[in-house]
Amino acid sequence: MKTLAQYITEVPKGRAFKPVAVFVPWVVCVAVALAVQYLAPAVVNEYWQSVLQRMGVFIIAAVSLNIVNGFTGQFSMGHAGFMAIGGYIGAGVTFYGSLLMHGSVNDPSFAVQGTMLMLAGIVAGACVAAAAGYLVGLPSLRLRGDYLAIVTLGFGEIIRVVLELTPKQISEVDAVRASPITSFFHLNGATGFTSTPAYATLFWIWLFVAITCVVAYRMKTSSSGRAFLSIREDEIAARAMGVDLTKYKVRAFVLAAFFGGVAGALYSHTGVNPSPTDAGFQRSFDIIIMVVLGGLGSVSGSVLAAIILVLMPELLRDLNQYRLVLYALLLIVMMLVRPQGLFGVKEIWDLSRGERKQFKKGGSA
Amino acid sequence: MSYLLDAQGIGITFGGLKAVQDLTLQLPSGVLYGLIGPNGAGKTTAFNLITGVYAPQTGSVKLAGDVVSGLRPHQIAKAGLSRTFQNIRLFGELSVLENVMLGSHVRGKHKLLSTLLRTPKFVAQEEAMRERAMALLEIFDLGKLANEQAKNLPYGDQRRLEICRALATEPKVLLLDEPAAGMNPSEKKSLASTIRTIRDRFGLAILLIEHDMGLVMEICERITVLDHGQVIAAGTPNEIQADPKVIEAYLGVEASHA
Repeated sequence: MKTLAQYITEVPKGRAFKPVAVFVPWVVCVAVALAVQYLAPAVVNEYWQSVLQRMGVFIIAAVSLNIVNGFTGQFSMGHAGFMAIGGYIGAGVTFYGSLLMHGSVNDPSFAVQGTMLMLAGIVAGACVAAAAGYLVGLPSLRLRGDYLAIVTLGFGEIIRVVLELTPKQISEVDAVRASPITSFFHLNGATGFTSTPAYATLFWIWLFVAITCVVAYRMKTSSSGRAFLSIREDEIAARAMGVDLTKYKVRAFVLAAFFGGVAGALYSHTGVNPSPTDAGFQRSFDIIIMVVLGGLGSVSGSVLAAIILVLMPELLRDLNQYRLVLYALLLIVMMLVRPQGLFGVKEIWDLSRGERKQFKKGGSA
Repeated sequence: MSYLLDAQGIGITFGGLKAVQDLTLQLPSGVLYGLIGPNGAGKTTAFNLITGVYAPQTGSVKLAGDVVSGLRPHQIAKAGLSRTFQNIRLFGELSVLENVMLGSHVRGKHKLLSTLLRTPKFVAQEEAMRERAMALLEIFDLGKLANEQAKNLPYGDQRRLEICRALATEPKVLLLDEPAAGMNPSEKKSLASTIRTIRDRFGLAILLIEHDMGLVMEICERITVLDHGQVIAAGTPNEIQADPKVIEAYLGVEASHA
């Protein structure tokens, strides 16, 4: 039998390189972002546009958490912690950066540089969140199930408490210019970081939504993705087959934390003030519910579940205080009817194919 | 003489229990080697020592001349040792094809950036993994089940799929942990020929744990017998069958007062 290396040399060059498969998804990302940016204002009012922004943020959060909880089967309950890290760093970079460079925040003439600052803040926030993900990922090598969940829950709470202890935000230009680095840590304690300009337009949010989905899906449908899934299915068999558990668990945590950080950084640029409670378990649970509802391991499931769970409270708004009861009831019914989530580990397009086949079989019998 | 797999005096103690003591197993290349013993004799523990699930407290394991004892299981797999499990451990939610493709994971490169950018190298590797996995599945007559979920396969197919996955790692030595467990006589017969075919076709050394004496005596060229964690006999099938210690371990001692 030929070895894998021999097989690789025999793959025809033409087949190895598929420009359509390689580049088209990125073009689609930009197209989606442009479409949302320019179509949304024509169709819905400003309130619903803000719902679309929040929806985008939670899609990124849910899809990225799915990499850890869904693909790799490591139950993390600290995703809001990574979001908060990204959110605060993103907001801090834009706010203090604007003060340093321009002397004021929220000046329309600074919008282009401001957007650049936001992107820098997103990258910085995502990288720090990824570093935190690395640290949280390490104990996952020794901890399983509930125990890992408790550690990650604790991580989120630590972030929350640390944020509450930060000193008051500085808004005087001179004070910031005098000591730019120390002022960056003035994150305004329990009140939450205020006055971050809302540079995250629908375009930027939905661009990152699309990128996150492409990245998650490409991870899932690759050799690394199979390694993630094998760990979730059976750790003992996975390592006996040569999967480095350390490497892949940490890789999953780092990737998830990175995009969690992106989601947080975008969110704090939508006019919503990041506050320490954002790092708490309430937010983490919201995202976990999306992942479980969509199906552990299903990218398209997470997307759909995030859309549904952001829309539902809005659509049920007329029911006033009953809406939360109904929301909870719908979740319970959902879990009873489809305990594996909307799509299980599959994607929406796999499922429709499979069920059509089943339907045909049933029809002919 | 140099052996492909050379375990010298390996042993481990759990609390007060000497699970395996001073076990020496030497497999030349191309051998079909049996490791037998009554329930609880320490056979699976011996497997776990060799594959790195436990680090041996005494002795050492060499694979093709390199010391592998003390390495972690995935490193030992990469060095060329693969195994199946007594209680089948497939990746149930993954397809049959993906299970085998994961086997070849250890022979590939999995850089994050090339995965995300779908570079020609990455695509070529995926294609190669798929083709090699399909070729392996065809050998085991599982080709038409490639897209089924592994958990939906019948028992016998799952056993063969596990062997298939282990072979995808390109091992030098294959460890089979009770491959015939739960099989009927005709399935056992076809398993025996499958194991021989694997050895001939892939040129491996195979170490087999098995309860079914008929199977072991039929296919193994050498056998080591464990009881209470200790080697009580080693030799050819004929020698083992005649060994009084082995008979005693399996059947007990005849009452001597008459």
